[in-house]
Amino acid sequence: MKFLRKILDNLEPKFTKGGPLEKFHAVFNAADTILFSTDEKTESGPHIRDSIDNKRIMILVVVALIPCYIFGAINIGFQSSQFSGIERSGWENFWFGFGVILPILITAFATGGFWEVLFAVIRKHSISEGFLVTSALIPLVMPPTIPLWQVAAATTFGVVIGKEIFGGVGMNIFNPALVARAFIFFAYPSQISGDKVWLKVDGASGATALAIPAAVENGNAVDLLSKITQFDYTWSNMFWGYIPGSIGETNKLLIILGILFLLFTKIANWRVIVGALVGLVGTAMLTNIMAPLSSNTMLTLPPHYHLVMGGFLFGLAFMATEPVTGAHTDKGRWIFGILFGSLTVIIRSINPAYPEGAMLAILLMNAFAPLIDYYVVQSNIKRRMARYAAE
Amino acid sequence: MERITIKKGHDIHMSGVPAKNIESASHPTVVAYQPEEFRYTKPKLLVQEGDSVKIGTPLFFDKCMPNVKWASIGGGKISAIHYGYRRVIEKIIIELDKNEEAVEYTVFDHHEISDLSKTKVKDHLLATGLWPMIRQRPYSKIANPEDTPHSIFISCYNSAPLTVDLDVALRNRSSSFQAGITALSKLTDGNVHVVVDEKCTSNTFMDLKNTEIHMIRGPHPAGNVGIQIHHIDPLKPGKVVWTVNAQHVVTIGRLFLKGIFDPSLIISVGGSGVKNPTHLKSRIGASINTLTTDRLHDGPQRLISGDVLTGKTNDKNGFIHFYESTVSVIPHSDKRAFLGMLHPGSGKTHYSLTNTYFSFGANSFPFSTLSNGEGRAMMPINSWENVLPMDILPNQLYRAILANDVEEMEQLGLIECDEEDFALCSFACPSKIDVGSVIRQGLDVLEEEEKQ
Repeated sequence: MKFLRKILDNLEPKFTKGGPLEKFHAVFNAADTILFSTDEKTESGPHIRDSIDNKRIMILVVVALIPCYIFGAINIGFQSSQFSGIERSGWENFWFGFGVILPILITAFATGGFWEVLFAVIRKHSISEGFLVTSALIPLVMPPTIPLWQVAAATTFGVVIGKEIFGGVGMNIFNPALVARAFIFFAYPSQISGDKVWLKVDGASGATALAIPAAVENGNAVDLLSKITQFDYTWSNMFWGYIPGSIGETNKLLIILGILFLLFTKIANWRVIVGALVGLVGTAMLTNIMAPLSSNTMLTLPPHYHLVMGGFLFGLAFMATEPVTGAHTDKGRWIFGILFGSLTVIIRSINPAYPEGAMLAILLMNAFAPLIDYYVVQSNIKRRMARYAAE
Repeated sequence: MERITIKKGHDIHMSGVPAKNIESASHPTVVAYQPEEFRYTKPKLLVQEGDSVKIGTPLFFDKCMPNVKWASIGGGKISAIHYGYRRVIEKIIIELDKNEEAVEYTVFDHHEISDLSKTKVKDHLLATGLWPMIRQRPYSKIANPEDTPHSIFISCYNSAPLTVDLDVALRNRSSSFQAGITALSKLTDGNVHVVVDEKCTSNTFMDLKNTEIHMIRGPHPAGNVGIQIHHIDPLKPGKVVWTVNAQHVVTIGRLFLKGIFDPSLIISVGGSGVKNPTHLKSRIGASINTLTTDRLHDGPQRLISGDVLTGKTNDKNGFIHFYESTVSVIPHSDKRAFLGMLHPGSGKTHYSLTNTYFSFGANSFPFSTLSNGEGRAMMPINSWENVLPMDILPNQLYRAILANDVEEMEQLGLIECDEEDFALCSFACPSKIDVGSVIRQGLDVLEEEEKQ
């Protein structure tokens, strides 16, 4: 690697102040520090530092996403072979799906990288590794049938409106990947509102698991799902992920492993996760109790079904736990989590327009996170002021 | 006796921990004061270059509190006075005579000390120039003699890496230590709190009188006096608490018992750049050179006066600061790992409070001056909160200071905070933010407001 190091060292003067490519210093610096860890030294204060940095955090989130990509590829192949009746082996399924995912992934990374570099050069900040996670998340929340121009448009909207206009990673209020998802959700509702499935087969159509109970009145959600023959919508199959859906969200086991990995590395906060599960299960149980009073079939959907259906777990693992756009206080994280879980069920069950609620629930909670934090901080201040006044 | 358990925090497992014995350092030929370290004071000289001084001769005083003087830490000749920007006094260097002379004061025995009045003790400490050893919280500045502190804190537990083991340093000095505590106890209407590590069973601390002893258990920063104050006698606006370094208490005790200012000090020398890390018997303001000769490994090193978390960068020709008793030496490293961010990590190459590297249980790690990352916007993954054992919201406080919102800083409890208690936050921060210096920036603003 000394050879590569030498090339970079020789190139460096061109990009430093006074060099011909001075403007693109951010680009050089990004390439330099991605290839070789930085040799920056501490100046004062603590003379020694922990090994963790933002690059490591971001790359580990990307690592946690890799299993979802692999299963996503297999599932795309599997679903299309099921529907079209072509027999394929597991490997063939994978390569079929890989062929679908790769252009989407390249588009997302190219578009995300382009905007990140553009803003870094114009605003003279360093290129933030955050775009790696955003660009890796976007394909996973997209349907496999999405046209590439929509991926590019969504990524642009997500990165620019969701992140860069606020000042970049660490200053954004909404999760950029979700902003991208929301963009195509509202911009192209006929294709992506979450009631029709997406299969990489011409002319295929069908209803998503969440749309089935939403469409029928006075029914029992579990019965309805078990009667569907087009897809296997049993609980266990939805857990194992052999159902149509967005690329990365179907296999719940891999997502749970992702959650455990992020918890173990201390990147995700367990309070959000436990809170969200409590909120989801609690609210679902409440809707089950209220179900006999209403003709809404969605109210009969039991909590463990809510858990494996739609994008809830994926959103929980990789979007609700995002530290920047969530609540910044521990108490706030509890509230954030509980309300996210609860809102997911409410939007799914009671809102007639959208069968899927996780995305909107997270975006709503992102918007409310500063307010939650405000009240947590005020209670901290109140407690302190009471102590100051006493004694 | 009260027990306090601290849960948050972290003991950094560094290699080069000083051995638990005391060696004598080579006799220094020069010692120095570095008046810049006395925050919020305006030093004015009482001596000139070339003057002869004894140990204890007043060298300078504070223009804001004119009765606060600094006693000379050596006997000999003022060989140089270094000035910095706008004639700030940077260093007063004293070349030591072979036989140092010392100013002599009244001698007291233990009974006489306990019979002294508050004014008597105060005047004696002011007159002898040892008053600067007493600092106050908030602000970590030299105590104002006009104040009466709510209590006085003496931490006998150094929890920061590579610092002096006070059990070792105070052994056989318990008589002077007791005398110092008795004298200090006259200065407050409240208690003198002595805080001891729970693991320490030495009777140097157990048999103390005129004091309240607290046992503290937990990782760094449990030994920081700021954390101890927060858990025992928390600060609030208008309340003042004084603190004295444990070794300075011995010096104060000796002043009363022997009638001289004895500037000797046990100094720890440690870090992975040191060959045989140990405790040295040296003195206040000793030159770094006498402490590190023949002890350094080859290669570029950073010499730090103080511990690795809060100390100041120094060099061979520098001097240890007045309140410090540690010299840390860590190597510079230019190592740039290829694709370092994908490295699985091991206990030998990576050290992290998170589990982002396979380095759990690294129990003696050779830290270098590498920052291990570039500065970024804050990433609130609780890295600060997990190492700050105080009822303070560090993230929000940091932002209030950056926004210069004085009211919010006060509301969020800045008055209870000090730079050194946040050093571990900066250590753990993935965005490499220096939290401590921002806390100091906020304290500067509050101090300025208070004056007006």
